[in-house]
Amino acid sequence: MSRNGSAPSAVIPGPDDLAISQVSKMFGSGEDRVVALDNASLTIERGQFVTVIGPSGCGKTTLLRIVAGLLSVDAGDVSIFGESVSHAIEAKHIGFVPQSPALLPWRTVIDNVRLPLAVNKKANSDPDRVQLDPAQILASLGLERVLHRRPAELSGGMQQRVAIARAFVFDPPILLMDEPFAAVDELTRETLRHELLSIWQTNKKTVLFVTHSIAEAIALSDVVVIMSSNPGKIQKIVPVDLPRPRAETVESTAAFHELEQEVRTEIRSRWEKK
Amino acid sequence: MSRLSTFESDEAEHLHDEHPARFAEASFVPGQRRRSAFLRFTRVSVWLPCALLLALLALGWQLYAIHNPFVIPKIQQIFASLGDRPGFYARNAGTTLSEALVGAAVGMAVAFVLAVVIAHARVVERAVLPIAVVLNVTPIIAVAPGLVVAFGFGETPRYIITAIVVFFPFLINSLIGLRSVDPLAMDVFRTLHASRLEVLWRLRLPSSLPFLFAGARICMPLSLIGAVVAEFVAAGRANGLGTLIVTAASLSDLPVIYASVLVLALLGVALFVIIVVVQSRVLKWHSSETTKGR
Repeated sequence: MSRNGSAPSAVIPGPDDLAISQVSKMFGSGEDRVVALDNASLTIERGQFVTVIGPSGCGKTTLLRIVAGLLSVDAGDVSIFGESVSHAIEAKHIGFVPQSPALLPWRTVIDNVRLPLAVNKKANSDPDRVQLDPAQILASLGLERVLHRRPAELSGGMQQRVAIARAFVFDPPILLMDEPFAAVDELTRETLRHELLSIWQTNKKTVLFVTHSIAEAIALSDVVVIMSSNPGKIQKIVPVDLPRPRAETVESTAAFHELEQEVRTEIRSRWEKK
Repeated sequence: MSRLSTFESDEAEHLHDEHPARFAEASFVPGQRRRSAFLRFTRVSVWLPCALLLALLALGWQLYAIHNPFVIPKIQQIFASLGDRPGFYARNAGTTLSEALVGAAVGMAVAFVLAVVIAHARVVERAVLPIAVVLNVTPIIAVAPGLVVAFGFGETPRYIITAIVVFFPFLINSLIGLRSVDPLAMDVFRTLHASRLEVLWRLRLPSSLPFLFAGARICMPLSLIGAVVAEFVAAGRANGLGTLIVTAASLSDLPVIYASVLVLALLGVALFVIIVVVQSRVLKWHSSETTKGR
């Protein structure tokens, strides 16, 4: 992935990559047909944090849902570390954090986090898996005092933390996050961003993260994927070479602002052409 | 991170505040809620309007009864009839209640199982639902005599009639309930490769509970209607409140008619209250419970 390459990565994916190859997806038929994804290719190395950013309707959520096995492809192929998406799902290799926390209201906080351990149990015996202690992971997110509360008693930010804990607890190698912080206020958002970074730095996973916040994308990721809409296409891949581990202060560095400007200009360039 | 943690613990502190502003909308304290519900009924402004209207209606009734003794009984006659033979009314009420409950249990169970099957196979829905709709719009009182001829004058037709009455509303409520699943929660289950049984047991069933209780609240009074209708039609058996009403009507025994009606009304209220109480225990997590009295 060269910094200046505007074309999607042409590197041949290896078995250690999450490889999205020439994936297309259409919705509807006839005149109502919408090309949500047009020939999208992306290679994510194991352990990379990749953020997809772009305007509404650029297909970023569609891309994520395809990798999550929630949508089928019309053309192309997705390979997750050499195996198919359905195999990865069967083996519980994917942790999914949806747009809203989607907690089960009848379960307490800790029971919500235990849910992934309780379903599809035969995948729990995976030898590579190091299951985390639900109470411990909740504690690391500052939720140790609400373990036995029900979700309705929690603020939106706290609920989202529970959803993150739920995705980490069964130690999936891949984490897919669909605008997970979209529903919380800006201050909580920044806090959550850095909590996610710190928990990710201790439990390294391959992350595909969808957002529409440029600062969020740069602060979190190794690679920012910019998408454009109509049809949904990968427009540019921008590597983020900021040092890790990153503290909050990274957002006030010159390098950060430079990247922010680069991404913003790139996104705007498409708008101005229209 | 240290700064973040401070922020975090502050947030947690709020849970124990006297005025937990951030959690006010959604938080609930069961003990407090129960006390406030009780307090509401002890407040004069709450029960007085209804009590006044009731007294007014009773007065009108009584005045009319005094001048038309062969149309409606005086109120004291109704209570005298109940007081004279409490065991007699209790026995008949027991018969009607057991018919209603057994019939309702069977009807609701069949409806729920069918709803689970339908929720998983659309083809069953297409096969069953039109027939269920026709069954629902057919007046049950027209069906009852045929069932009595077919199944005799015993309990069987009474159970069947009651079961038919509750079947449709519970089927629809169960279906809506089983489908009222948060789609994003469903996505989480799918990405975990949860089996259909796991989705049913851990997601669909709990999600449907509020709808099942709503269904039960509709079905309980309906089951009493079913039982009474069945008794009207098959009055050959000399028990049950419905039988009692038909017999008393043929003898123009007005106090017995209205005493039986009163007992039926009380049964209906009792069934309704039981459902509501069970619901408030089981559905503590649901917003219909947590926002009560606000």
